Amino acid sequence: MATDSFPAPATHPLSIEQESLLLLRLRTTTAGHLIGTMLTQARLRFALVVALSIIFWIALFGLFFEAFTFIDSMHAEVISLLFNAFFSSLMVMMVFSTGILMYGSLYTSEEAKLLLTCPLRPAAIHAHKFQEALWFSSWGFVLLGSPMLVSYGVVRQAPWTFFAMLLPFMVSFVVIPAAFGSILCMLIVAGLPRLRVHAISISIVIVSLGLIWTVWSTLQSTQSETMTVAWFEETLSRLTMTEQKVLPSWWLSSGLLESALRGETAEQGWASTLEALKFLGLLTANALLINLAAGWVARWCYRAGYSHLQAEIPRRRQRSIRWFDDLLARSGPRWGSPLRLLLVKDLQIFRRDATQWTQFMIFFGLLGLYFFNLRSFNYSHAYASIIGYLNLAVVGLILSTFTTRFVFPSISLEGRRFWILGLLPVSRDHIVWSKFLFAFGGGLLPCLGLVMLSDSMLSVPKNTTLIHLFCCGMLCSGLSGIAVGLGACMPDLRESSPAKIAAGFGGTLSLVLSALFIIAVVMTTALPSHLNLLRRSMGQMPGENFLGFVSSQFGITASLVVVAALGMVATFLPLLLGLRAFRRLEP
Amino acid sequence: MIEFDHVTRRYGVKTAVNDLSLAIPRGELFALLGPNGAGKTTTIKMLVGLLRPSHGHVRVCGHDLVTESRAAHLHLGYVPDEPCLYDKLTAREFLRFIADMYGIPRHLAAKRIDREIECFELQEFADDLAENYSLGMKQRLVFAAAFIHDPDVIVLDEPMVGLDPRSVRIVKDLLKARTAEGMTVFMSTHTLAMAEEMADRMGIMVRGKLRFLGTVSELREQMAIEATSLEHLYLELTSSRATLRETTLAGED
Repeated sequence: MATDSFPAPATHPLSIEQESLLLLRLRTTTAGHLIGTMLTQARLRFALVVALSIIFWIALFGLFFEAFTFIDSMHAEVISLLFNAFFSSLMVMMVFSTGILMYGSLYTSEEAKLLLTCPLRPAAIHAHKFQEALWFSSWGFVLLGSPMLVSYGVVRQAPWTFFAMLLPFMVSFVVIPAAFGSILCMLIVAGLPRLRVHAISISIVIVSLGLIWTVWSTLQSTQSETMTVAWFEETLSRLTMTEQKVLPSWWLSSGLLESALRGETAEQGWASTLEALKFLGLLTANALLINLAAGWVARWCYRAGYSHLQAEIPRRRQRSIRWFDDLLARSGPRWGSPLRLLLVKDLQIFRRDATQWTQFMIFFGLLGLYFFNLRSFNYSHAYASIIGYLNLAVVGLILSTFTTRFVFPSISLEGRRFWILGLLPVSRDHIVWSKFLFAFGGGLLPCLGLVMLSDSMLSVPKNTTLIHLFCCGMLCSGLSGIAVGLGACMPDLRESSPAKIAAGFGGTLSLVLSALFIIAVVMTTALPSHLNLLRRSMGQMPGENFLGFVSSQFGITASLVVVAALGMVATFLPLLLGLRAFRRLEP
Repeated sequence: MIEFDHVTRRYGVKTAVNDLSLAIPRGELFALLGPNGAGKTTTIKMLVGLLRPSHGHVRVCGHDLVTESRAAHLHLGYVPDEPCLYDKLTAREFLRFIADMYGIPRHLAAKRIDREIECFELQEFADDLAENYSLGMKQRLVFAAAFIHDPDVIVLDEPMVGLDPRSVRIVKDLLKARTAEGMTVFMSTHTLAMAEEMADRMGIMVRGKLRFLGTVSELREQMAIEATSLEHLYLELTSSRATLRETTLAGED
């Protein structure tokens, strides 16, 4: 149709550069406000994040420094293998993490909906969202990779050019897998709208199986005793498959290794730097090319893919899973106990909220996989005891992230439904107790299972297993009490996003208190139990001194009493405070 | 200004919009009515470029929304049913962002921002972050953003949700004034009184089909019943009895 009869627009289209600059300005403005808000309203969280990041970085630096010093003195040739294995694994993870992040930000976010109704090029919108996804998927790499590489440079006494090239190397590397993930995401959504879920599921299963097989075959079939040089060599020799010259991870590790060479003469040093620059050039050129390709793909299929996705109608609940709801509804006594009804409601919501249970399954599944593989390490008794307690702490820490992320906001999320609960003949205490029972019951079974698996694989004595199970029970109870109690004390009834509620002051406080509680419980029992084990393995009798008392049977019993007291306090003190605050709450 | 040319949109086996043909000229305020699930939102999504037709074409000022979406969007303003804003931007910053996106020169953009802030009475919170706004405040800001580039066509999806009576009056007056100046308005609504008061023409969709197109008096003539209110006519037209009658007639044909 001719457009002559229509008015010319009162506006002017922007060039692609202007669009990119505009979106960059938008990002800097929002980031400025975000930092400003954090500095004024969430100082504790901001300070905690910065302090913990610094501590984490320093601890990693120290760890890598020791490791590189050891390797450098005995097996310098394995560094290349280690770098290749590390960067190639990271590359695979970044492809998937960026793909998943891009799916959320390009196709389901409200911002994408707004931008798509504006006169912006799809490539500009993609670039804008890609920067965001790149940051979210690579900050872990920067936090983990930077202390590793800096410590390597320090151990190898690398020239200054090595440190100067670190950032360009890392940035140009992360763009490649991230852009690849983004392209995959757009092609799957646009090209396979009906098969999307199946395609993603199948690819995740294939990659997961591949990773499991790789890890299993790398670690399982080693014949040598664990943690010996021979074991390391045997294991590392199985990682040579990561040294493929077509992989960006090889370009990165080769470039970094070259740039760290000082050379015996100045000429040799410059030659190495020049070689490193060639690898950097290769990485940068490929990063730019794949970024350009991602822009082309966005231009070609982003809008079409968005439309495909909009046209999908949510499927009705499958008959195969309705039985679960029926079972829940019929379970328990017929008369309507408010607690049972509230618990059934929470269970049904939990089952339908894939973000909750998938994360739960992934984290606990990975932990289970690691525990399942412990037997292949052939630990000595002393090691096994320490690792048993460390595993207990890890189970507690993982549970604490779930209680903070999902249980803490659960009371606040009732805010918008308060009129329903408020009109029902249900006391507010029931709401708080139901949340506690839900968290405690939901966490207890998987945690006990994991601890039993860990102890079974480590072959720790039965008494120690019982102590671990008791501590695990106390951890589940205390962590649930802290999350529910603080959630009831500090509800945010206006916020609908659980992530934002958990990220506030109350959520941060809950996480910090949970971490302190876990440390207190594990340390209280680990010390006497471990000392007792050491003493018995050396055939010594308890001495008269303090350590002797601590490591005696009486000391162990006393530590269990302390843990029980800690568990009671962590469970009931926040709950009582929460109940009192929640009764007075005016929604 | 707006043209739906034999537009069909299917969701799997379900047809959400069935062979819709509709042309809305310059300066007309068109109201699209229909019960829930009638296909109004699908029609609006196709009009603003979020959804592509399975068949047919949607054009704004002669530009196809699929093949020339940027050109079409330069003429469009859109107010969604749920306001979408950046929480960490103030009203003034958001309006500046939208003005920049449409390439409005700086000096002109500043005047337009002031104009819209005054028009929608945003002065009190223009420099507060949007995360602190109520639903009504957000909706007013979205209106201001939609009008800032003086679009030739404005698309409104349930525009009065969340607005207080004073804001509703402001919006109504503004729409009347702008349509008199030549702007075309495409509005989806459930508020029959508003459609009756404001619309030059209205369309009533039922199960993806445009069952009626015209003015209220034309609807009254077509229905040939002793009804006085639009509500009565609308309920009669969209009732299951009417749908059944139409299905039977189609079967006889």
